[in-house]
Amino acid sequence: MPDEQNLTVFVIDDDDDIRSSLSRALGIRGYLVETFSSARQFLDEYDKNKLGCVILDYGMPDMNGLELQQHMKQQAIDLPIIFITGHGGIPESVRAIKEGAVDFLEKPFRQKTLVNCIETAFGTLLEVQQLQQSYRQLQNNFDRLTNREKEVAQFIVLNPSSTSSKDIGRHLEISPRTVDHHRARVLEKMGMTSVTELVDQCVKAGLFL
Amino acid sequence: MKLSLGVILAIYLTGLQLIAVISVVLISYVSSENVLIDHTRSLLSDTGHNVIDHSKDFLEPARSAAELAKRLTETDIVDRENADSLEKLLFQQLKTTSQFSGMFYGDESGNFVYVMRSDDVAEYRTKVVRTFATGQEASFVWRDPDYNVVEREVDPLDVFDPRTRPWYRSAKESKDFIWTDPYIFFSSQKPGITAAVPVMEGDGTVSGVFGVDIEIEALSDFLAQLKIGQNGVAMILTRQGNVIAHPNSELIKVKNKEDTLEFVNITDINDEIVQAAFGELAQSGIASLGQEAQSEFEHDGYGYVSTVIPAYNQELPWAIAIYAPTEDFIGGIKANRIRNIWIAVFIALITGLIGLKVADRINRPVRDFASLAVLLSSGEVSTSDDIPETYRELKQASQTLLNEVVQRKAFEREYGVTFDLASRGMAQISPNTGRFIRTNAHFNDILGFTAKEMQGMKFSDILHPDDTDTYISFQYAVHKNVEYNQERRYLRKDGTIAWLRVNAILIRDEDGKPLHTVATIDDVTSLKLSEEKINELSRELSHFSRINMMGQMATGLAHELNQPLTAITQNADAALLTVSQSANPDPELIEILEEMEEQAHRGADIIRALRGFIRKEKGDSGAYDLNELIEQTLCLVHPEASVRGINILFKAQALPNAIGSRVQVAQVIVNLLRNAIEAIVVAELPTKRIEVRAEANNGMIKVAVEDTGCGVDPDIDLFTQFETSKQDGMGLGLAFSRSIIEANGGKLWCEPETEHSTKFCFTLPVLSMKQLENDNA
Repeated sequence: MPDEQNLTVFVIDDDDDIRSSLSRALGIRGYLVETFSSARQFLDEYDKNKLGCVILDYGMPDMNGLELQQHMKQQAIDLPIIFITGHGGIPESVRAIKEGAVDFLEKPFRQKTLVNCIETAFGTLLEVQQLQQSYRQLQNNFDRLTNREKEVAQFIVLNPSSTSSKDIGRHLEISPRTVDHHRARVLEKMGMTSVTELVDQCVKAGLFL
Repeated sequence: MKLSLGVILAIYLTGLQLIAVISVVLISYVSSENVLIDHTRSLLSDTGHNVIDHSKDFLEPARSAAELAKRLTETDIVDRENADSLEKLLFQQLKTTSQFSGMFYGDESGNFVYVMRSDDVAEYRTKVVRTFATGQEASFVWRDPDYNVVEREVDPLDVFDPRTRPWYRSAKESKDFIWTDPYIFFSSQKPGITAAVPVMEGDGTVSGVFGVDIEIEALSDFLAQLKIGQNGVAMILTRQGNVIAHPNSELIKVKNKEDTLEFVNITDINDEIVQAAFGELAQSGIASLGQEAQSEFEHDGYGYVSTVIPAYNQELPWAIAIYAPTEDFIGGIKANRIRNIWIAVFIALITGLIGLKVADRINRPVRDFASLAVLLSSGEVSTSDDIPETYRELKQASQTLLNEVVQRKAFEREYGVTFDLASRGMAQISPNTGRFIRTNAHFNDILGFTAKEMQGMKFSDILHPDDTDTYISFQYAVHKNVEYNQERRYLRKDGTIAWLRVNAILIRDEDGKPLHTVATIDDVTSLKLSEEKINELSRELSHFSRINMMGQMATGLAHELNQPLTAITQNADAALLTVSQSANPDPELIEILEEMEEQAHRGADIIRALRGFIRKEKGDSGAYDLNELIEQTLCLVHPEASVRGINILFKAQALPNAIGSRVQVAQVIVNLLRNAIEAIVVAELPTKRIEVRAEANNGMIKVAVEDTGCGVDPDIDLFTQFETSKQDGMGLGLAFSRSIIEANGGKLWCEPETEHSTKFCFTLPVLSMKQLENDNA
């Protein structure tokens, strides 16, 4: 499970001075910083196990920031991106945000602004990571249920307003008693203390959705 | 005016025969009248002499009877003293000559024997006067034709004395035969005349006188029987002008104051015609007339001829006067003449009609020829049709004409086809009114009128209201025999403007008279419009490039400046953090660092404001035809290229419309072309060529500009601002161009060099539905 301590800030800018100044400033603030002088270099050298966020210069020769954003999507590099640009226009920024960028900062920007963006990005990243984690957990537990138990669990999650044993029994054409037995097994196997928790966890993780 | 042959022939033919007929009639008219009048005159003259002869013959017996009695008594065969023998002599002579009314003898002694015809008691009566010393005795004896006495009577009171009578005295005085003047016989009351001859003694004295009374009323009868025409009249006149014989014997006797009958004078006669004929003559004196006198006169509207023949001699003491109306002699002729005139008129009419017919017949081939000529020239008859039969002379002429027409038709057809099918507009224009005589389809199409509509229009009708001097200069040029050649604005039927290049000359006939103006017309509207478009683009480009070069510099500077400014702020921030985390932070240093960071941000704000200001000048965005744009920019650059001997090649191929700002893209193309031109000028190679290509691919249009210039300096980053290989360049062109193309959604790059060629390419998005949707969003 990742935490703020091992998150990295990836700075991609063709300007050496920008890279060095940003690397220094962020380093003093305690961030792990890695710099790349071009989009191509980032794609070639990025280690997928390292998580964090990307500070990306929009206007670069050969492959600009937007193109790199596309490439990252294709290659499932799921890092939040903060665009920085020397001549950022509104159309470019809109497009970048639409594609999922955290923010679009015009050079020169205040360090505080950048740090806020990084923190937001990290928050978002951790949240996503956590969701992915609980989803995977739920999925694993769900996979251990019998077929009948899966049916009962699915019905409960999809119809949270009618969770009485009668309703479930009528729907699945089994006796309420049997339903009670299955429900107890589901809660036990899924590691839930109540039906309410089950429904809540499943809806959050997006299971059955 | 020239008359037609037919009319001339008709006039000549009918006119000639009319003249001939009229001449003949006129000549015969005049000559026959003269001949007839002459004839009348001689007729009158003959009649006169006839009357004279007749009168002489009539009177001659009286003369010879008197002479005979004289000789018988002078030779004493008859005793003049013996009254009985004298009576026998006189009786015998009287009995044998019927016109004698009586014979008598008187002597110097006063004795008198008188035998006369009688119509009472007996047929003859004798009066004898015997003189005695004491007196005289008169006795009367009536006898029958056999001389037997029927009755006797004595008149003692009779005092008749022969010696006092005019006839006695005249004869005794002249001692020769005489005629007395005519007079009215007392006893018979008839006109008569007495012939008297004296009986001479041996000593030459007169012993007595024999006389013969002869009645001349018979002469009037004779005159009445004479035929002098129908109304001619002959008269016998005395020296004094007394009328003694006239066909109407009643007219000649009038009573005088003593209540005795006497002859009327010709001036007093109750006959106006006679007075008109001879009155003048009578006044001048008939006696003085020496010879036959003829005259003509008019009375009451009629013409007359008259003649007077004097015959004063022993045989006849008279004059003969004759007149006759000329009508009697030439009346028939006149009637005949009128008939002749009618006949002549009739003949003239007939011959005139024949003349017309003949003229028509002579003229028909000529007329046919003439109408053939007209039909040929108007094209209603084909030249291949038969020529109507005509004269040999005309045949040749018509053949010549036919050849001419065939030639002319061929020419006209050729001209007409050329005119109608010409790829340029053509028009024939009236030189004076400017009316369109003929226009070809192409010209009609240019203006959008039908041929029929153009027929009624004038050159001035299609002028653009702002180009009013066009027609004046047009007319001036063509009438000065100068070729008119100008591009002006004209109006189409729908009111839109057409730029026409009109080229016109005036066609004149052989005499130099203007026939029509021939104009060739080219529609140069699209040319004019594209010229205008190019000019507009040029204006836009210069404006755009002025503003945008500045903007580009500002943008470029902003980018360039923002990088160090960013580094400064980051570094300042890092320093600030470092200082503030130190054990003993220096507040002054912190303030300096904070100020430094603020100033860097202030600089960035200024640059941002400047960029925001410039960003507004982008040019209109939209869909446009890239081929057209390339052609227009080529036109702009062409002067610079051609002056340096550089050939620019571009072949347009079908392309979809591009989307973006055409002015910006035009600026990029111009930039690339100018770079190419400069590169070629620097290289000084023999081949000086720029090739431009545009092709559509994958929803983009790719434009390539390739030159045979000096190539690219490998040490220079082409697209970095303020880097340049040009001596006087700023190093903005390509960077600027790239930013423009990227702003328009495309890319600009330099393709790897091949030998002797440098190739810059850029792409532009194609107008698509997706593009439209995005734009709308």
